[in-house]
Amino acid sequence: MSDTFLEVRGASKAFVGVQALDGVDLAVGSGQIHALLGENGAGKSTLIKILTGVHQPDAGTVRLRGVPVAFRTPRDAISAGIGAVHQERNLITRFSIAENITLESPPSWLGLFDADAAARATRRWLNLLALEIDPATPVARLSVAQMQLVEIAKALSLESRILVLDEPTSSLTPHETARLFAVLRRLAGDGVGILFVSHKLEEVFDLCSHVTVLRDGRNACGSRPLAGMTRADVVRLMIGREEASFTAPPAPARAAAPALELRSVSTTFGHCDLSLRAYAGEVLGLYGLVGAGRSELARAVIGVAGITAGEVLIDGRPAAIRNVTQAVRRFGLGYVSEDRKGEGLILQHSVAANIAATVWHRLRRVLGFVSDAMQAATAAPFVRALDIRTPSLAQRAGNLSGGNQQKVSVAKWLVAGSRILFIDEPTVGIDIRSKADLHDLVLRLARQGTAVIVISSDMPELVALSDRIAVMKGFRIVDTFDNTRDYGQASQRIMHAIHG
Amino acid sequence: MSRLRNLLRADWLGLLLLVLGGSAALAVVRPEFLTPYNIDVILVSFCLTVVYALGQGVIIAIGHMNLALGAIGCLVAIAFGGAMEVWHLPIWLAAVFGLLLGTICGFINGWLTWRSGLTSFIITLATLSIFKGTALGITQAQPFYRIPDAVKAFGSVRWGPLPAMLLLALPIVIATGIFLARMIPGRQMLAYGGNPNAAELSGISRARVVLLAHTLSGVLAAVAGMMTVARLQNATPAIGDEWLIASFAAPVIGGAVLTGGHLSVVGTCLGVLVVALINQALVMLAVDPFYVQVLLGLLILGAVGLNRLREARLGTTAPVRLS
Repeated sequence: MSDTFLEVRGASKAFVGVQALDGVDLAVGSGQIHALLGENGAGKSTLIKILTGVHQPDAGTVRLRGVPVAFRTPRDAISAGIGAVHQERNLITRFSIAENITLESPPSWLGLFDADAAARATRRWLNLLALEIDPATPVARLSVAQMQLVEIAKALSLESRILVLDEPTSSLTPHETARLFAVLRRLAGDGVGILFVSHKLEEVFDLCSHVTVLRDGRNACGSRPLAGMTRADVVRLMIGREEASFTAPPAPARAAAPALELRSVSTTFGHCDLSLRAYAGEVLGLYGLVGAGRSELARAVIGVAGITAGEVLIDGRPAAIRNVTQAVRRFGLGYVSEDRKGEGLILQHSVAANIAATVWHRLRRVLGFVSDAMQAATAAPFVRALDIRTPSLAQRAGNLSGGNQQKVSVAKWLVAGSRILFIDEPTVGIDIRSKADLHDLVLRLARQGTAVIVISSDMPELVALSDRIAVMKGFRIVDTFDNTRDYGQASQRIMHAIHG
Repeated sequence: MSRLRNLLRADWLGLLLLVLGGSAALAVVRPEFLTPYNIDVILVSFCLTVVYALGQGVIIAIGHMNLALGAIGCLVAIAFGGAMEVWHLPIWLAAVFGLLLGTICGFINGWLTWRSGLTSFIITLATLSIFKGTALGITQAQPFYRIPDAVKAFGSVRWGPLPAMLLLALPIVIATGIFLARMIPGRQMLAYGGNPNAAELSGISRARVVLLAHTLSGVLAAVAGMMTVARLQNATPAIGDEWLIASFAAPVIGGAVLTGGHLSVVGTCLGVLVVALINQALVMLAVDPFYVQVLLGLLILGAVGLNRLREARLGTTAPVRLS
């Protein structure tokens, strides 16, 4: 490739005992939109961090236009013309949009920050992404999707020759995504090289011309044209085998009374006149865009926020849920948070302690002591049943892979005896292999008699899992229907409910 | 219109009303509250406290803390006194020496925090002990009494109710306010405090921010230490002993977030005034001074609670919708 812009050759990087990258090659041409794919832990993030100066490679070279470069800090990478949107949110929420976007090189006048100049410089990039907000607005007031767009605008504003985008569309609506893609195509037309990371293969096929796939820190393929490749080809490269096809066992006959029923419920979060039924033995999928109020609904029901009007019925009987402890212990409700690391698990604690935490009050025996042995005895059957891959029960939860961490969060609630389980974004940030595993687990749980309510923004996942689907928009339920697991049909009905 | 709305939204408006209302109430109950002498007492206390409160504030802005603030003030105070009494240095040279010492102490705090990667809590806890011990060792716990008249005058002269020390305190307050609100290094400190990872990925150097904040804190502690010498008319190694609580209380009452990213200089000033007013009110109402501490503690708890409420509301405000 003569017009190769960015070239990585033989990049290796090890962290305490783990070889994250092992001789990886990557070549992005000028004007190319290049997909970087791989499961979690395949080394994508490490490679990106090397390109953006966060990590330094142990071996290998990075060349820009044929010239070897070595970035020691993020600043070096920025000045060399590499802009990035990282997977984690990287905004200063108290600062205005304009100041965030100009943080790399703030416009100043006599040493003072020039807010007007920053706003002027910013408006252009916001317009490009059709984000019609005053640049002086503090970022804390924006929705998640808007924040993501601001981050993209920030990367664009560097006018980099290489743009690295790590999961830039995770919070965007299809409409916003389409807009972003139009901008990216235009940039590519102007000769910018774009490295695009996404778990959504549909997006990759829509946008990218070339693909590099990583598996276990090595190249499964290097800079191949996407034309002629199928989704199955890419998945095979990513996981090293065929994608398991997935069929759901039939749902059992419905009980007379739903396990959980909401009747015209309003909450302090802002839900209004909302009705919903979840039956034992079934998976109810709750679809909606980010900000539709799905997680908030789950939180309100388990007692985090107040229910201001309407009725909650459990097994057909009215239940007044006053707080989380009562929801968990008396009504058998459980909530697997979407924020595994922040809310689901105590990463420094052992797998056993994490699983047993919900039942400490039952374990407490003599003088209120909880022994390791008691915890382990409680946790062990669930670790086996859920097939949690851990060297031992004493392993720190933080050392497990994302998929196994998620299983630990689920196990926690099973130990507690939850009969009504909310699972929020069960497979966010989890690789394809573990994803199928978790789907299997969710359905198994349901068929064994739990009422499972899955909240997901991943439509294919939701359609594959759910027996019934409820669609939320603006803190209301706009549609509920029995799901035949026919993707075309279901997706059309959902999109119609949201946008129609 | 929007200017007025911004003013109403400012986190220190409630405090301002509290200060005004409290003063008015006190003036009604005890008319002697409004005598020039009395106002001078409050303003002197304000001048001293606001300087070291900002010294803590710039550290809070980056999400760190400086427990050694009072110890630096103490070390600088006795160095300042000693330089004039023992070495017979002219005042200006002794002051420069004091500033330099404060700068070095602050820089050491910053450098150790940056290099070690430990929290500033543990680093400044250690240097607190080192600085304080050095000050006590040098003086054998005896004050330097022979302070030049010019220095003493600076600490005691007043024009009506206005103490001369305002000439130093006000420019420092204004400069710190402009620094944090508008100057690039100040904004970088707040950016780092708000989200260290994001700041670093935007090319802001962690080393620079940490060193700058701690050094500034040392300089402000040095100024406050020397001002206290002028006020007390001697350089005693007890200076700085009671700074710690007020140095955190004032910024926090003024709306600062201890995890970093936000410091209101106006709020800090009002926080200092609230503390000074309460002190004065309790003296005038003949309340046992020991209970002043209890009230201060309750005030901190109240202020933190209020801040949390405000944060929670900011977090859940309805997002601006896309067109």
